[in-house]
Amino acid sequence: MDASELQPVEQFLAAHSPFDSLPAEVISRCAKNITVGYYSKASAFVEFDTQNPKLYIVRSGAFEVRDPEGILVDRVAEGECFGFSTLLSGEKVVNKVAILEDGLVYHLPQAIFAQLRAEQRSFDQFFARAFAKRLRNEGRFKAKDLTTTSRITSIMCAKPIIVQAHDSVIDAAKIMRDHRVSSVLVIDNDKLVGILTDRDLRNRIIAEGLDVNTLVSQAMTVSPITTHANALVFETMLTMSEHNIHHLPVVDGSKAIGMITSTDILRAQRSQPLLLIGEIGRQANIDSLIQVSKQIPLLLQNLISADARAEEIGRVLTSVTDALTRRLIELNQQILGKAPMAFCWLAFGSQGRQDQVACSDQDNGLLLAHEPDELAAAYFEALTQAVCKGLDQCGYVYCPGDIMAQNPKWRLPLNQWKSLFKHWVLTPEPKALMHASIFFDMRAVFGPMSLFSELQDDVLASTKDNDIFLAGMAGNSLTESPPLGFFRKFVLERDGSEVKGMDLKHKGSALINDIARVYALSAGIKEVNTAKRIRVLMEANIINRKDALNLADAHEFIAHMRLANQGYQVTNNLPVNNFLKPQHLSSLLRHQLRDAFKVVHDAQAGIKLKFLRSF
Amino acid sequence: MANLWWIKTLLWRSKTKVLPLPLQNYLAAITPVLNQRFIDAPLMAIDLEMTGLDPKNDQVISIGLVPIVKGEIPLAKAQHLMIAISGSVGHSATVHGIVDHQLHTALTLPEAMSWFLSQTEGHILIAHHAPLDIQFIQQQLVRCFGHSIPLVFIDTLAIEKKRRLQQQDILQQGSLRLGASRARYHLPVYSAHNALVDALSCAELLLAQVAAMGDVKKLTVKKLIDVIG
Repeated sequence: MDASELQPVEQFLAAHSPFDSLPAEVISRCAKNITVGYYSKASAFVEFDTQNPKLYIVRSGAFEVRDPEGILVDRVAEGECFGFSTLLSGEKVVNKVAILEDGLVYHLPQAIFAQLRAEQRSFDQFFARAFAKRLRNEGRFKAKDLTTTSRITSIMCAKPIIVQAHDSVIDAAKIMRDHRVSSVLVIDNDKLVGILTDRDLRNRIIAEGLDVNTLVSQAMTVSPITTHANALVFETMLTMSEHNIHHLPVVDGSKAIGMITSTDILRAQRSQPLLLIGEIGRQANIDSLIQVSKQIPLLLQNLISADARAEEIGRVLTSVTDALTRRLIELNQQILGKAPMAFCWLAFGSQGRQDQVACSDQDNGLLLAHEPDELAAAYFEALTQAVCKGLDQCGYVYCPGDIMAQNPKWRLPLNQWKSLFKHWVLTPEPKALMHASIFFDMRAVFGPMSLFSELQDDVLASTKDNDIFLAGMAGNSLTESPPLGFFRKFVLERDGSEVKGMDLKHKGSALINDIARVYALSAGIKEVNTAKRIRVLMEANIINRKDALNLADAHEFIAHMRLANQGYQVTNNLPVNNFLKPQHLSSLLRHQLRDAFKVVHDAQAGIKLKFLRSF
Repeated sequence: MANLWWIKTLLWRSKTKVLPLPLQNYLAAITPVLNQRFIDAPLMAIDLEMTGLDPKNDQVISIGLVPIVKGEIPLAKAQHLMIAISGSVGHSATVHGIVDHQLHTALTLPEAMSWFLSQTEGHILIAHHAPLDIQFIQQQLVRCFGHSIPLVFIDTLAIEKKRRLQQQDILQQGSLRLGASRARYHLPVYSAHNALVDALSCAELLLAQVAAMGDVKKLTVKKLIDVIG
């Protein structure tokens, strides 16, 4: 007669923070003290027992915490908790918890919660941090310092090199040499028992004159200090400096899942955007520039893991691309000499909109001050070819549609760019417009602003209030619709295993970009970044405040999901694409995503009404 | 779900018989529970692992008990008991994963049934597809005490069937199974199966079903219970 077989409950706790850092016997104690409740949407709000405050651990379903004014404080889904504010502050329950989706909730009594906080430092820290996060709710849009908020899983070495405790030190040394590492983890029976470093080999074997066949278990540092997968980079740095060590095994229970070294942390910091941009500007030749660009994927990973806003990530990554482009132009001009006339390097599409993500390709063009003579034409041909090639080597692959400055079609003097845009605007043929839409998201990355403004002012003057052109653009933006039907289907097949995935780019972000573009062109707005376009449109009362805020939120949310998904794909060595597998979504995120798509759907209806009604 | 009058009649008829003391006490304890609100009534989800599906010839190997108190499940009171059987576990081991050597710590059948009566006395039993488990329990009572008694229970499968038919659903084959029923209430999938986990699964399902019915505070147990004499 024992309840030690409450396996499903224990397994669940062991898989979620902060319980995942607790020893098995403590988890088992938690499980035994839990009571299980079920909450249904029918009762709308969770009824709190004011006499006995508890920690509510969501096993399934979705909940929303709102303060007494009804402002959203937190959204809580599977594996997350609520009720801790009262437990920590000792104050009365004031927040209301709405039930979004029916679900099972584990209740952990106050006494056990207090006991765990007293006994387990990581448990206490987790809730102290969660509580603090709620308190500074308004600060959540501020840019975050990467070292303090990113998690070590994003920078640790996930496949640690291991040796067995009964191996000889010479075998261990060979493994270390072959893998070019300065430390290895020592495993016995699948459990981490020690760590062996270069220093151990030197101090305990060579200096002592011991035999090379001595067992690893005699040379290693026993029971090394470890860290857990959810630790922050910042905490890990603290641990290292406190103990004056440079290698930390990352464990999950007693199992080693990775290794983090001071070098990993140093490298992570180097890929902070400002440092990276500074480094780009300092490179004196193209080869070293290509080397530096290899840090960009790591920068993206770090930004995602630090939970930065998608809009910020897009802007940061685009700034890096801009800096790279500029440096490439400068370095090539050092080789080719001074340009024979003023010119602008134009960025189109995602770089123009400042929402670049992983694996972007190039979309660029060149704007010349006037018609080039033969010599000037040759100069710009050589320059653009060198820059496009450089970008390709830095990871921005050649544009499959050949929209690049090295293509003479997109390397034009001002008057020809003007007439090209005039042609698109005056004879808006749907198919041609579809290809042309990325050109309307243009930005000058290099060159005199006055030259670029001359082109942009001319384009916007022709699009503003041009009903026929705008109807064509609007029509184009409506050819795709958000995958709302997908959710209906998804509800039927709850596991979603038969569904391929949602295209978050073409059926999400791109639609919002289209909507913002049509409005911006209709009002002659110069901004090209989608979030900024929406903000300006709101301030100019072209889109009403509520719709604009909703659209901006939906844009951010979908972009965030897309990035988070790509981060997941990268960490799990999957091919990086825009498809989100619904089975990777919690029910809460599914709710939010459906809301976001609903906003896109409504905005499309708005476009239709405004720009297509006369046709 | 049976009518309360019929349940009371069956219980009363048994009380007039000469029964061993534990069974008499058991009957006396259940009667006052029948008129209680769901939230107040002592409830006990049960699940049995058996060597087969025939109450007359097959044996009970283990029993899982999970109570519901005031609409919540206190895991501290969940219990799991092994029963020593005659012969080998045989093929059924592949279903519930209990192998012979685990039965060393097991109780004898009479010990187990005394334990069962003491733990569930004054509780309404809950099971998914309850008639099978109830008949097995009653058969074990006959083996141990020479008599059986009517047992009052809530069948989560019967509730689910009724609810689904009210929604004019066509019942697909297998759609009333424990796992399929749980999925409709967003209850998690449990990979392990033993008497304890299945009793827990069943208790959770009942909470979900009751929550979906509307105002839990007004619900009385007489709307849910059934009996086998």
